[in-house]
Amino acid sequence: MSETVYAINDLVIDLYAPTVSIRAVDGVSFHAKAGETVAIVGESGSGKTVTTLAPLGLLPEGVRVDLRGSARVDGQELIDMNARALSRVRGTAFGVVFQDPMSALNPMLKVGPQLAEQARRHRGLSAKDARAAAISLLARTGIPDPEDRYNRYPHEMSGGMLQRVMIALALAPQPKVLIADEPTTALDATVQAQILELLRDIQRREQITIILITHDIGAVAAAADRVVVLYAGRVCEEGSVKQVLTEPIHPYTQGLLASVPDFRAGARRAASEIPGLPPDQSRLAPGCRFAERCPKAEESCRVRRPDLETLSEGRKVACPVSLRERKGHV
Amino acid sequence: MQRLLLRRLGLALLLIVAASALIFAIIAAAPGNVAALIAERAAGAGADGAMIARIEQELGLNDPLPIRYLTWLSHAAVGDYGVSLRTGKPIAEEFAARIPVTATLLGFGGVIAFLLSLAMGLAGAASNGGVVDRVLHAVALIGASTPNFFVAALLVIAFAVTLGWLPSFGASGPASWILPAVTIALFPASVLSRVVRVNLQEAMARPFATTGFAKGLTRGSVLLREALPNIAVPFLTTFGAQFTLMTIGAIVVETVFALRGVGSFFIDAIRFRDFIGMQATLLLFVVFFVTANFLVDLICLLVDPRLRRGRN
Amino acid sequence: MLRKFSGLPWTAIAPVLIFIFLAVFGSWIVPYDPGAQDYSALLQGPSSVHWLGTDYLGRDLFSRLVTGARVSLVAMAIVLSTALLIGVVIGSFAGYVGGVVEQVMISIIDIILALPSLVIALALIGIMGTGYWSMIAALTFAWWANYARMSRAVVATELQQPYIEAARVMGASHLWIYVRHILPHVLSLVVVYASADAGALVLSIATLSFLGLGVQPPMPEWGQMLVDGMSYIEEYPLLVILPGLALTLVVVSFNLLGEAFALNKVPRPIARRLWRRRRAERAAEEVARDKSEGRA
Repeated sequence: MSETVYAINDLVIDLYAPTVSIRAVDGVSFHAKAGETVAIVGESGSGKTVTTLAPLGLLPEGVRVDLRGSARVDGQELIDMNARALSRVRGTAFGVVFQDPMSALNPMLKVGPQLAEQARRHRGLSAKDARAAAISLLARTGIPDPEDRYNRYPHEMSGGMLQRVMIALALAPQPKVLIADEPTTALDATVQAQILELLRDIQRREQITIILITHDIGAVAAAADRVVVLYAGRVCEEGSVKQVLTEPIHPYTQGLLASVPDFRAGARRAASEIPGLPPDQSRLAPGCRFAERCPKAEESCRVRRPDLETLSEGRKVACPVSLRERKGHV
Repeated sequence: MQRLLLRRLGLALLLIVAASALIFAIIAAAPGNVAALIAERAAGAGADGAMIARIEQELGLNDPLPIRYLTWLSHAAVGDYGVSLRTGKPIAEEFAARIPVTATLLGFGGVIAFLLSLAMGLAGAASNGGVVDRVLHAVALIGASTPNFFVAALLVIAFAVTLGWLPSFGASGPASWILPAVTIALFPASVLSRVVRVNLQEAMARPFATTGFAKGLTRGSVLLREALPNIAVPFLTTFGAQFTLMTIGAIVVETVFALRGVGSFFIDAIRFRDFIGMQATLLLFVVFFVTANFLVDLICLLVDPRLRRGRN
Repeated sequence: MLRKFSGLPWTAIAPVLIFIFLAVFGSWIVPYDPGAQDYSALLQGPSSVHWLGTDYLGRDLFSRLVTGARVSLVAMAIVLSTALLIGVVIGSFAGYVGGVVEQVMISIIDIILALPSLVIALALIGIMGTGYWSMIAALTFAWWANYARMSRAVVATELQQPYIEAARVMGASHLWIYVRHILPHVLSLVVVYASADAGALVLSIATLSFLGLGVQPPMPEWGQMLVDGMSYIEEYPLLVILPGLALTLVVVSFNLLGEAFALNKVPRPIARRLWRRRRAERAAEEVARDKSEGRA
């Protein structure tokens, strides 16, 4: 039984812009073990990016952030860490892959030396060893002719290739946790599959923990072991990929899965959509966030916030109504 | 990239020729008879019509304008700028003595402006809205608004008169360059520091800055290693523009500090209606500006990997 | 009360208004004739009689400063308005007519802009001789080209907009289209630039006067007062400091005004855009053109 590498507990995050304040994350908890891929799923505004990036201090400058709760990596608490210590942890324990590699990589810097720099700084390698490590990293992420690519600039490469570079860059310091924030969204469909395959492969070989943030159910199915479903800053459902995708319990999860077009079924099962819009997170009502759009909502749903109940090991759902139904069936 | 450069070079040369034609045309239109002035200088009151006519013939002043222009330009291209109406000496000699002075002044000033603006801009960006940032913004505003002759006067009052540390005129050694160079650098440094500051802010908001943080860099490192390279093109472009504007500063500073440079030669030429001298100096200016702009473009091409054509 | 005067913060507009007020009503509020010499009161410090002291000819400094404000402002206004008029007209004409005429005008404008404005003005003064009107003419000639370039660019872009075509179809005359639809765009760009440019112009006038090539004595002008005061810099620095401070203050306020205008009416400060973008754009254009040539 592998130990927990990354643990988020009761995370509450408020964002302050000049005119409005938002509770982006409202009591989220989940754990990730060594060698497993946890997918964080949700639509835009669900708080999936903020949950993972805010404790690391990686939100864009200019937004004031208020963090409460706990975020631990290998037992080390990240919240309230000072800037210097945090930047060290970022470099050594975490690797981050961002959404659009073309804009996430510095256009003025060659690709290879950045990798070597990471290896040198965080692993203490000599310049020569670092360069060799960088080239082998490029090779391991599936980049052909890595010796040549080492001296290239981002604008000289395609999107898919650049994403591999980003992954290589994230892996360079040999981190414990790899965070991939929508790694395939900006890529072509064929390339998406390749990247997900690459992530899977890396995880198997390096036994690294991957946090995969995505809104794409297909990616979850292809690359994740466990999945956490977020809606409006709260966890709706959690479980292994198999459990959640074959038997979704929370109405939001069900709606999410139903809205994925199923081409195998032909045109028979059309994609359905969840009616309504996500709530305005600057003005929030009590009770379940999903109540307005939920087909199963009852009076109590709008009044009391549903607890995240544990069904079995690692299987959690925050919907008393659905759980009650289920017990009735069983 | 070679083709790009050659084309730019060609345009630059064309610009020099066109500007020089404009200069020549304007000055040739000046009232006053050059031959008469020369005759007066040579023979005083004894200058008569015959003498003037002879001088006109010698200097080809009766030829049509385009011929005179080409004659002048072809001479200038080999370094013969004619004889100054004011001093009576060949202008090439004057230039030989004066260009180094102005070049030194611009060189020191340029270096100070370059370094100072980077320091101020970086400090402001590091402070990011804090006290240092706001103070530097105010300093830059004042620096960009203060006339350079006032700066010169203030510096002289402070350092030469009151403290007696530095000489207030002449070119008598490295210390005597300090006040002129600082005076000439203040305006460009102020303008450039704002360019640096604003561009750094924009760069820090771009995704690659977040990647920089994700790499484990501190904010200072992100500023220096990720953001700073990205402001190279706007910074260098503005620096080029400011550097050429420094010629005006040089004109004033050379006058205030009694430096015998090209700028003071120009002013003397204007004061004494030395048209030949004015013509020559303007040509020098044009060549300088066009060359400086060309070099800046060249450096930008070298610095920004995206502007270079791909290595195929 | 006057907190936001037509949307602009008062910190920017107040100093400029004070300057204009002093300039316009100055002659009524000064206690002394700026040219009046008083040999019994040479180089005196500030007192209740002479609020800012006197100069080496016994002239009241306060009066000279205020009158100098008027001289600077009037000169600046004449040059700026004339240069604006000429520049906008020529630039708009070039942009509207297009074709070879436009190209030729662009070339001429670029040649003029190859030299800094003050150098051109100095050369012209060298030819025409010194004097107040010589200075005005020289500065105007040096200044119009930039506004012509801006106007042409705006006209050229706006002419491509679909609403122009629509207006023509509806039978609007060229002049009507220009005045009603295009001119506002030109003016909004030009006004922002001009407000900061006013400061640069005041500085240029002062620099010319400092060099003895601008406003001639006995007309008081701050740059000229400063150069006069240089001879007394050791014994009586106030002669230098007062006009210098006045100049700095006025230019600062014009710059603030320009900044405020830029933030309010236009997305990004024009000056920066002009400096920064021009070369980067040309470079990028070149690369794009060469790329398409290279691939062809």
